[in-house]
Amino acid sequence: MAKLPASISDLVAQFGPHLKSEPAGGWTTRGEPDRIVPTHCCFCGQQCGIQLKVKDEKIVGFEPWEEFPFNKGKLCPKGVKRYMQDEHPDRLLTPLIRTEANGFQPIDWDTALDRTAREIQRIQSAYGRDAFAVLTGASLTNEKAYLMGKFARVAVRTANIDYNGRLCMVSAGAASKKILGIDRSANPWSDIPKAKVILVAGANIAECAPITTDYLWQARENGAKLIVIDPRLTPIARTADLFIPVRSGGDIGVFYGMLHVMVQRGWINREFIAAHTTGWGAVEAIVERYTPEYAATVASVPASMIVRAAEMWGPADTSFLLHARGIEHHSKGVENCMAAINLVVATGRIGREGCGYAMITGQGNGQGAREQGQKCDQLPGARDIENPAHREYIAGVWGVDESTIPNTGLSAVPLLEAIHDGRIKGLLLLCFNPAVSLPDGDFVREALGRLEFFTVIDFFMSETARYADLVLPGSLMEEDEGTTTNVEGRVIHHRQVVQPPEGARQDWRIICALAQRLGAGDKFQYQSSRDIFEELRIASKGGVADYAGITWERIDREMGVCWPCPSLDHPGTPRLYEGWEFGHPDGKAHFQPADWRPAAEEPDADYPIVLTTGRVVSQYLSGTQTRRIGALVDQYPQPQCEIHPRLAESLGIVDGDFVRVESRRGAIVVRAQVVRTIRPDTVFIPYHWPLDRSANTCTIRAIDPVSKIPEFKICAVRVSRAPAPSGDIAALETAAGGIR
Amino acid sequence: MTASPRADVARATGWGLFIASLVLAGIYFGSRRLRDFDAALVPYAGASVFSAFGLGYRYSMWLTKPPTRLFWRRGWRLFFAPSRVAQNLSRLAALFAVNIVAQRFIEKRSPLRWAAHWFIFWGCMLAAAVTFPLSFGWIHFETAGAVQERYQAFVFGLRVFTFDLASPLAPLVFNVLDISAVLVIVGVSLAMWRRGRDRGALAVQQFGADLLPLVMLFAVSITGVFLTVSTHLMRGLHFVFLSQLHAVTVIFTLLYLPFGKFFHIFQRPAQLGVAFYRETGAKGEAAPCARCGEPFASRMHVEDLKQVERELGIRYEAVRVKASAPDSTTAHYQDICPACRRKNLALTQDALWRRGE
Amino acid sequence: MSELAFFIDYSRCIGCQACVHACEECDTHRGRSLIHLETIERRDSVQTAPQVCMHCEDPICAQVCPADAIKQTAEGVVQSSLKPRCIGCSNCVLACPFGVPKYDGDADQMMKCDMCYDRTSTGRRPMCATVCPSGALAFTTIEEIMQTRQGRAVNDWQFGDQHVRTKVFVLVPTEVTRVNVAVIPLSSLRRSQPPPVPYDVAALLEGQ
Repeated sequence: MAKLPASISDLVAQFGPHLKSEPAGGWTTRGEPDRIVPTHCCFCGQQCGIQLKVKDEKIVGFEPWEEFPFNKGKLCPKGVKRYMQDEHPDRLLTPLIRTEANGFQPIDWDTALDRTAREIQRIQSAYGRDAFAVLTGASLTNEKAYLMGKFARVAVRTANIDYNGRLCMVSAGAASKKILGIDRSANPWSDIPKAKVILVAGANIAECAPITTDYLWQARENGAKLIVIDPRLTPIARTADLFIPVRSGGDIGVFYGMLHVMVQRGWINREFIAAHTTGWGAVEAIVERYTPEYAATVASVPASMIVRAAEMWGPADTSFLLHARGIEHHSKGVENCMAAINLVVATGRIGREGCGYAMITGQGNGQGAREQGQKCDQLPGARDIENPAHREYIAGVWGVDESTIPNTGLSAVPLLEAIHDGRIKGLLLLCFNPAVSLPDGDFVREALGRLEFFTVIDFFMSETARYADLVLPGSLMEEDEGTTTNVEGRVIHHRQVVQPPEGARQDWRIICALAQRLGAGDKFQYQSSRDIFEELRIASKGGVADYAGITWERIDREMGVCWPCPSLDHPGTPRLYEGWEFGHPDGKAHFQPADWRPAAEEPDADYPIVLTTGRVVSQYLSGTQTRRIGALVDQYPQPQCEIHPRLAESLGIVDGDFVRVESRRGAIVVRAQVVRTIRPDTVFIPYHWPLDRSANTCTIRAIDPVSKIPEFKICAVRVSRAPAPSGDIAALETAAGGIR
Repeated sequence: MTASPRADVARATGWGLFIASLVLAGIYFGSRRLRDFDAALVPYAGASVFSAFGLGYRYSMWLTKPPTRLFWRRGWRLFFAPSRVAQNLSRLAALFAVNIVAQRFIEKRSPLRWAAHWFIFWGCMLAAAVTFPLSFGWIHFETAGAVQERYQAFVFGLRVFTFDLASPLAPLVFNVLDISAVLVIVGVSLAMWRRGRDRGALAVQQFGADLLPLVMLFAVSITGVFLTVSTHLMRGLHFVFLSQLHAVTVIFTLLYLPFGKFFHIFQRPAQLGVAFYRETGAKGEAAPCARCGEPFASRMHVEDLKQVERELGIRYEAVRVKASAPDSTTAHYQDICPACRRKNLALTQDALWRRGE
Repeated sequence: MSELAFFIDYSRCIGCQACVHACEECDTHRGRSLIHLETIERRDSVQTAPQVCMHCEDPICAQVCPADAIKQTAEGVVQSSLKPRCIGCSNCVLACPFGVPKYDGDADQMMKCDMCYDRTSTGRRPMCATVCPSGALAFTTIEEIMQTRQGRAVNDWQFGDQHVRTKVFVLVPTEVTRVNVAVIPLSSLRRSQPPPVPYDVAALLEGQ
């Protein structure tokens, strides 16, 4: 196992996760807040509006923000409790340096920044520029995402920058771009209630995008039929008109089976296809083979379900497709999404009111953070890093020579592999917790232990930061000002609510200070995060994700502005593809053929059960934030293995038993939750927990060839009853990875 | 079994008269046939008699409520169960210490509320312990014969102790009401401060129910303190007016006693009875939920409640049980635990929608 | 516009607990959640049941209270027990037809949902109904509800021979004018015919 500077128990004792269950100042009801600041929730891509109450410069509560049109005051439990991370006892308040066998010791900021800059330079001169990598996150503001991309290319000058959106939106983005030409949800959420049929594929909306539930239910009140495709009977599937319990990875079977029936019965829009699309022939050829019977074997569901889905979807006047990680987290994630979008385009039901499709972003700025140039293959404005014209434009904005901008670097998983095999020696990481969130956890943790030098910027000591040589205390969303772009492509304004606590610094100031030390200070002369946004506007101008016409004032006035918005007098673009003008240069949608193929690891005699992973409503991503909030941990304290009674019985497992879930990569022990709401050939474990409780210890390090997304949604495991875990880690708080 | 309202009123009036006459008799005999009775205090004594009538009336009316009556009877029966009286007495002492003396349950509700209540409670108790016996003529003070500096205290005409005016005891004895007034004023101030700043209290408090009693206590206390100030510091300035003002506040408070917030003083001991009831129930048979089978209360409590509901006309007896068999049975809704009721409501509504499909 | 009212549609609930957490923010009981959210039978279903106080017109909780501790405001909001009066007997907890009141052993007092009186009495919406992401709980006008929801909002309930009318409305199909509550036994959840519909994924896969 990889090196840590102290035992995990000691690190947890010092840095948490500890639970905070009371607001700053306690549950008092005395007096009124000094101010109430409208801003947004930091958890998940819905980016709900919320108002935070401030008293004595501490956040002491919240008030729903009913005027914000997207969520109208609605919140999920994470949003309700988000303010609890302020004044948290685990908050890092000084730079920390690793001291062997002794944990971390405080050092001053200048020493920490100097050392980081020195190590970057040392590693790059010894091993080459690309031997130092930068990993970032999709929970960063647009400003910070932009800054990180520029920092990596201009200050560090490494090709190897990628972000944890690689675990999130890249399959959806790639598919959308290939077929429709733009990587963004095609429609505003206000179109959902206007659709007559809604297809939800691989999206546990109730838990992962809770406020979208009301949009779905509103559609149903208006008479819409709801089809849900998921291996688990989720809360939205419970009352759906049709629930298709697809086998994980069998989604193409459902989509093409439906399309087959639709072709047969004349429910495709051939006029539209002829006038506004290309590539239909290849799709039709594949689809021809997907008779309901064949499709049923791919999807592993009764053929009648597929026919019924086609009968609902095919002839409808208006329709909306929503998909999320369930179809995207596959080594064929892009193909799954393309098959889904083909289903939309074949009907021509896109680009008008109540007709369209959306991918549900997972992370806070899942949309915006992938447009500002922190992906290994992208430049700001969702520009292509290999496109000479794009490079030239950005070089001009940055004031550098085009040739100094690196080319495509490694994406997250290959980047970790390069660390593991020694090609990358140094890493700067912000807003990413790969020790919990990347697949094949033991491998990842081993890789982190092999770095020669590793700096982490974070506000809490994440499981990944434990491996760092230096930890720099950064800022929470509410301690900085900036913008994010929500699931609709709506650019919104996160206001600064309070100052960072003494000792911590705003992330962008840390990055600028590092750039200064790396000799690029003149390119990072920002006085505020707003300066960064102003530069981002210019950098995105003319790109696909064009923010040029968006100002913070407009955002405040208009409650957000949807990109593309090329000029100040442009109203923004809530709905894409109106008038069937698609994002490709030819203005057409490009059908993409893709045949079904098996997952990287299908169950076999040794590992006969499918493991699929996902979220619970009370936790967010790797849990660095939400595992520190008492009420959210109480709601779902530790991961459970959902297992159908039929499978449980055959394995001699009863509800509440400890079970060992073992894949070829590793094993974990969790409690069994015996439920009839999951396929009997599949088990489900949520992934938010670290260490011995980490579902990603089992998942497979296989990635999609196009999007490079890991295959979190299917791998092969075996499950058996196990004794209750014991030992130091098992004795930890559940939030910290223990089990009780 | 509930008597007619008119009979209830008649009985309550009887109780009121009975309690009032007890107080009258107490005054008459306690003051040695009015020999020790201070005529100047007649208004106070009179108000006390009216108050006693009101309390008797109110208490009796209160006990006509079926749930109250049931707890009242059941509580005493459990308390005086021959095999348990000794044990119960010691338990009562413990409960009394925790709930009435220390008032810990109020601390759990809000420490500030507890502090305010504690000051008010002990201020009032102290004042009551002095003023009622004084105005009823049960205690009085006399100079000891010719010695002007010596005082004698009499209780029911019996000399209890003698003290020098110069002794440290003297100011305590003469100023005990000032001390109680200060306690009450501190308590009222805390309470007012809390009620003025606590957003929860601000939302639900009502002038008549929550603020008026505090105002009254404050008025009684401050006018009492004014009397002392007038006597000792201002050579009797406006003494007559102030004493009349004080009398008015006290009399008003006494008359308010049975009908407003202060009635809780007389209700509160029921809490001890309920504690007995709960403890007895916990030792006895548990009632399992007719739906989930989990015990959710004591059998005694569930059965008592069924009786109370019958008396109140709450008709939970026959709620249909949905079953696949055509001859569906019924259940007493009181046998369904609260959690199952909640689940059942959602299932019922959900099923209504599904039937529509 | 008519006045704002509280509406429940249990079937919309997704069990996220936003209401449970938001309830803690209500000033009349800050730090203590008074709403209920039941998971009905997790083994068989993901169905959940939120329950706020229904604010009966003639509250049974108040009728069975031996201490006269449960009062209604002029608007018909049934409040938590009066602190000076409540003697902690739990009659209300056991008798409420909706299973609403909660007995707090430490404080020896019954507390219950008071429709966020701090908020609703000043024109704001209750916490739970404002945050509820599924619209299972809503606080709006009857006109708005009639425009946006199917069925009708009713506030008449029948528990055996006991009729209860509430301030809070429940959404039901149009033909229903009164919710007749029958006990749905646990055993019927396990059966596959409606109600409720089959939740067993294995059965679905076998085309049952």
